[in-house]
Parts: sequence; C-alpha cells; structure tokens
Amino acid sequence: MNHDIDIKKLQVNCFRQSKVPGEFMLQMRAPGGVVQAKYLAVVQHIADTWGNGQLHLGMRQTFSIPGIKYENIEAVNEYLRGYIEEVEVASCDVNMDVNEGGYPTIGARNVMACIGNSHCIKANIDTLSLARKMEKLVFPSHYHIKMSIAGCPNDCAKATFNDFGIVGIAKMEYDYDRCIACERCVETCASHATRVLSLENGKIVKDVCCCVGCAECATVCPTGAWTRRPTKFYRVLIGGRSGKQYPRAGKIFLNWVTEEVLLAVIGNWQAFSAEVLNHQPRYLHGGHLIDMAGYEKFKEWILKGVKLNPEAEVAERLYWTETEYRSNIHVKPVCGVD
Amino acid sequence: MAYRLSLSRMDELLEKMRESYTIYAPMRFEKRGRYSDTDLVRYDKIRSVRDIVYDEKSHFSPKEVIHPITQALFHFTEFEYRESEVDERPVLVFVRPCDIHGIQRLDTMFLENGDAADPYYKRLRDKVKFVLMECGKGWDTCFCVSMGTNRTEDYSLAVRFAGEELLLEVKDPSFRPLFASEKTADFRPEFVSANRLTVRLPEIKSRDVLEKVHALPLWESYDTRCLSCGACTAACVSCSCFTTSDVAYSENGRSGDRRRVWASCLHKDFTVMAGGHGFRKTPGERMRFRTLHKVYDFRARFGGADMCVGCGRCTDRCPQLISFAATLNRLSGEVDRLNAEAAAATGVSV
Ligand code: SF4
Ligand code: SF4
Ligand code: SF4
Ligand code: SF4
Ligand code: SF4
Repeated sequence: MNHDIDIKKLQVNCFRQSKVPGEFMLQMRAPGGVVQAKYLAVVQHIADTWGNGQLHLGMRQTFSIPGIKYENIEAVNEYLRGYIEEVEVASCDVNMDVNEGGYPTIGARNVMACIGNSHCIKANIDTLSLARKMEKLVFPSHYHIKMSIAGCPNDCAKATFNDFGIVGIAKMEYDYDRCIACERCVETCASHATRVLSLENGKIVKDVCCCVGCAECATVCPTGAWTRRPTKFYRVLIGGRSGKQYPRAGKIFLNWVTEEVLLAVIGNWQAFSAEVLNHQPRYLHGGHLIDMAGYEKFKEWILKGVKLNPEAEVAERLYWTETEYRSNIHVKPVCGVD
Repeated sequence: MAYRLSLSRMDELLEKMRESYTIYAPMRFEKRGRYSDTDLVRYDKIRSVRDIVYDEKSHFSPKEVIHPITQALFHFTEFEYRESEVDERPVLVFVRPCDIHGIQRLDTMFLENGDAADPYYKRLRDKVKFVLMECGKGWDTCFCVSMGTNRTEDYSLAVRFAGEELLLEVKDPSFRPLFASEKTADFRPEFVSANRLTVRLPEIKSRDVLEKVHALPLWESYDTRCLSCGACTAACVSCSCFTTSDVAYSENGRSGDRRRVWASCLHKDFTVMAGGHGFRKTPGERMRFRTLHKVYDFRARFGGADMCVGCGRCTDRCPQLISFAATLNRLSGEVDRLNAEAAAATGVSV
C-alpha cells in the first residue's frame, strides 16, 4: 500500500511503528501498573475491533495493542477518551485537556511500580499512590523520563534500571524492653539484607552505617520490638538504563528523603531537562541528560528550592560503572580457534 | 451498681483514678504493625478512655503488664546487690474475659507451681485490678466458649462502649465513692455465648495413647510450615516462659543486672543445654510440645482447666497462617482414632 505517514507525530501520540507498513502498536498508560480490571474490556475492544486481537503486556507496564491500521487511529483515539479521562485525570489528577486526539505526548514514560504495600508483605510504601502523584508531576510533558517505584529494596520494580528509580525504605526503631533476644532479626538481616544486627548483652545492637531500611527485621520480630517509623522514606537512584551501547545500573543519588522532598525533586525534572536541552524536548535517556549536564549541574538544578529533611543524604559525586558493549575486550571466540 | 457516662465525663473520672492508679489498656500504635501501613494494638498506659481500642482484639496480651517482657530482678556490684523496685501504685488493666482466665493460668504457674511463689510476679500481680471489656460478638479466631473462658466474675469494673457513651458496672466497693453522683443505669456485662469457631479438645486417656500422640505424623507437617519464630507464644496470654541471665555493664564485668526476659518453647534453642544437646530438634516437635502443654500437660499437672484460654491471638499473629484451633481439632480427630484403636485392642468400649 502506498503510505504517507508522519511516523514521529504518531509516536508522540503513543502509536509505535510496526514492521508491517501502515500498522502501529498503541501503548496505553497505566500509572503504577494498576487500573481497575474493568478496563480490560476497553483494551479488548480496541484489540478486537482495530488491532489484531492480541494484547502485549508492555515492558513498562503499558497495555500495548499491536496491529492497528493507520486509517483506524482516529477511531481508536476517540474511543480512548474515556480511559484517559478516568485513568489520567480522575485517578492521577493530571492537569490536561482530554479530547478525541488520544494521548498528547509519549515524553514522560509510564510510571512503573511494583504492587507495594497494598499487597506485598515486604513493602514499605504505597507505590500506587506515589506513582499517581508522580504521573501528575511528569505528564503530559514532552520531556522524556523513565521512572520506576519499588516498595522495598528488593527492587522487583527494577528501579535500578531507570532514569529515576525510587525505593521505599523505612527508618527502624528498636524497643529495648520488648526484645526477647531470639535473634530472628539478626538472622534475617544477615540472610536477606546487610548483616548489621548482632546480639550483645542479651539485646540487639545495630551498625547504623549500612542498614538499608528494608524492614525485614520488623517483619520477623515476634514481639514488635522492631517497628517502622511511621514517616515514609525513599532512596532515589539515578541514571540507570539498558540499551545497545553502555547500559548501567543506577547509582544512589538521595537516601532517606521524605515524600515532600521526593516530589519537589521530581517536580524540578522538567526545568532541568529544558535547561540542558535548550528548551527543545527530544528523545534522550535521562541518564544521558545527566551525563550531558554533569552530575554537579544536575544536582544543582534538581535540588533547586528543595528543602532537604534532616535525615536526607545526598551523593557527593557519582562513580558510574557502565557495561561497555562496544569494547568487549574480554569476550573471545572459543570455537574453531587452535 | 452501674452507670451511664459520656466519654468526656468518664475522662474526668479517669483523671481522678489516675491520681492513685496506673491504668493500662490496649492502645493503637499507628503504622507500627508487622506490615507496612498496618497498626499495632498493644497494652500501654492510657490518658483517656478514647485511647482504648475496644472494638479490635489487641495483638499482644495484657500479660505484659504483670509479666513484663524484660524485667530487672536485681542489680549487683562485686560484693553486694540491690533488688529492683517496681512502681508502688496499684494498677488497673482493661481486659477481656479470656484474658482474666489467662492471667489466672499465669497465677497458677507463678504462684502455685512448687513450694514458693515467685516474688517478682507476685509483687506486680498483687497490685492489679481488672476492668472487664465486653467482647460483643468476639472475633473469628476466638474459641473461648470451647475453653470455658467466655465468662468471669473476677473483675472490679466492667465496661460496654457505646459510641460517645459507656456503661460501667462498679463491682469493687472501693470505686463506688468516685461514681456516687453519676447517672445510674441497668447494666451487667454480656458474655459471648457462641464463637464462630468450635474447638474439640483431645481426651488422652492413657500413657500408651500419649506416646502414640507423640509419634503422630501430624506434627511433621509443621516442620515445613512453622518458622519457629515464637510470635504465637509472645502474643499468648497464658505463656509464662522466661530465661534469666546476668548482664554485666562494666568493663570488668563485676557489676550488672540479673534480668528475666521472655522465652519461647518454639525457639530452636529453648531446650539446648551446655554442650549443644537439645531435646526438640524440629519445628514439629516444638509445635507438639506447645500444643500438648496448652491442652494436656498443664491440666495433667494442676487439674482443672487447660492452659489455653482460646483467645486466638496465636492464630492472629502467626505469620505462616497456622491456626491453633485447626491444630487442636486435627489433634482431637487423631486422638479419637487412637482411643478407638486402644478400646478395640482391649475390648473395652469407649
Ligand atoms: S519490590 Fe519489595 S514491595 Fe515491591 S513487590 Fe518486590 S518485595 Fe514487594
Ligand atoms: S527479632 Fe525482635 S525480639 Fe527477636 S532479637 Fe530481634 S528485636 Fe529482639
Ligand atoms: S532494616 Fe536494616 S537492620 Fe533491618 S533487616 Fe533491613 S538492613 Fe537489617
Ligand atoms: S494458645 Fe493461643 S488461643 Fe490459647 S491462650 Fe495462647 S494465644 Fe490464646
Ligand atoms: S507464630 Fe506460627 S510460625 Fe511462628 S512459631 Fe508460632 S506457629 Fe510457628
């Protein structure tokens, strides 16, 4: 078929080009990876009516519907209106005009999250409500950002492979009198976390240097001697990415920040991106953006006007360790060589 | 006598009571629960009746007030020692009917077990008076009716919470003057007469059956299920075990505390002696010990009631979702079978 299609425009509209000319895959946002199950009917309707009947569970927790023909995109966008209104505006309070044009931008990618404390026994935070607050801060901006939220340092959400990886952590408090010296916390911290607990004189001592705030100790303590401080805390990793050239794990930028600080930091992302990109949004990994600016400048911009809580820690500098796919000098052929 | 009081009026009276009593009740510790954004309900000193969590079962029992988790017994230096002291004031504790029975079991363990009463238990226990809280319908893990612990008359005051008001029965004459000018009411506490759960107790009738009970494969199923964490015994109102140890707090190790701290028969080191030998090596064996202690050994030793009072807190707190009621019913089913087999073997009907 003879096509004349503005691929870029469609991509911004959240339709991804297919290898089949004239076909596209719609990516529907699901902030925090959760929507009411009733929306599966919406997804099914789109897939059955305009797609090829398949649903791909997108790698960033989108509903991805392949096989949509170019000429049906208008109809799909019109049909999407209700979903966007409910999922973006009603659930996340996103400030946007919803019309028959579908998604206004693909810039800030779907905010991912693990199930968090609405279900998971390991979690320290409500990942969904945080993801929704984040969605409101970054969408619909053309500036690209990939974010993922993990309920605890297990990081099922792969926060470590995102531009911004947010991990829910807890400040632990110890009630000396409630402790019965059973050492459950000692064993659990050693096997699941960082071995910072030990028994001394019949009670627990902690090497506070290295507690990761996972709260495993509270989960196993039979008497409730260990409890989480009710205030929620967060670790923020930056610069994680996958990719063809030099993927890398994110590094800790902030530790023990409160939600207020976290929201203020993410709130600065757009201004930082605009500064580095000269107000021209274009596709660039957040990590590359930080690299372009340099960590010092990034830190200055992203912490602008942010009042850090007393517990907060900030990385003085970052030592990136990239996997250099391009050099690969340690990989040698082993067959057919004598 | 009984009275109807608004919560604010009760608070005024509570303020007066607090001049002479230390008052404990189940309180909510927000977001301090085992899992994120869950609360912990446990005993602590209250300042207002509004602090009392009456419509939920507390996660931990009131035994903490009388048998503290950590208690210093005496302080020593090289050549002398001084006994620890406790607050002289009398204590009022808000409790459930099963809790009152549970504390009676502790009384048996600490005051009537052997020739001497335990002075550290007694010095606290003697100060305690109970305020009975009505249970309403009870909760889904309760089996007080099966254990015969749903009723009690052993209380000083009894209370029913009703929104912004409460009904209070004053049984202990020493409290009467305090309420003399309050509006009277017709109130006696009601007791739960049926639980959602029914538990059948094992009737172990002979040494031979007891030995067979020890060997039941049922216990092995807990080897993989039970974590030996002791959350059940920590929550249990009738568990009394503790360990005593000396804690030196000087560099030369010659001065310190002797203290007692709760222990649990579920913990793997509970029976470990010097040299490393232990009697109950598997979680299943420890579960067997606990279960039989609760519904066989105690009664065999002291007669009368079983140690377990059916509060269900062990079930509520078990992170592995092991129901003690289900364990007991499973055991009773097996014991029925063993009794029937024994009867068939001897030709005597049961
Ligand atoms: S990251 Fe933590 S909270 Fe999230 S699903 Fe994994 S274990 Fe649960
Ligand atoms: S798990 Fe709890 S009771 Fe056991 S040693 Fe640790 S703090 Fe103490
Ligand atoms: S919160 Fe800290 S002390 Fe507790 S288990 Fe995790 S790393 Fe260990
Ligand atoms: S064994 Fe369980 S049900 Fe029985 S008294 Fe103890 S905590 Fe309550
Ligand atoms: S609470 Fe459950 S898992 Fe823990 S020791 Fe008791 S029965 Fe076992």
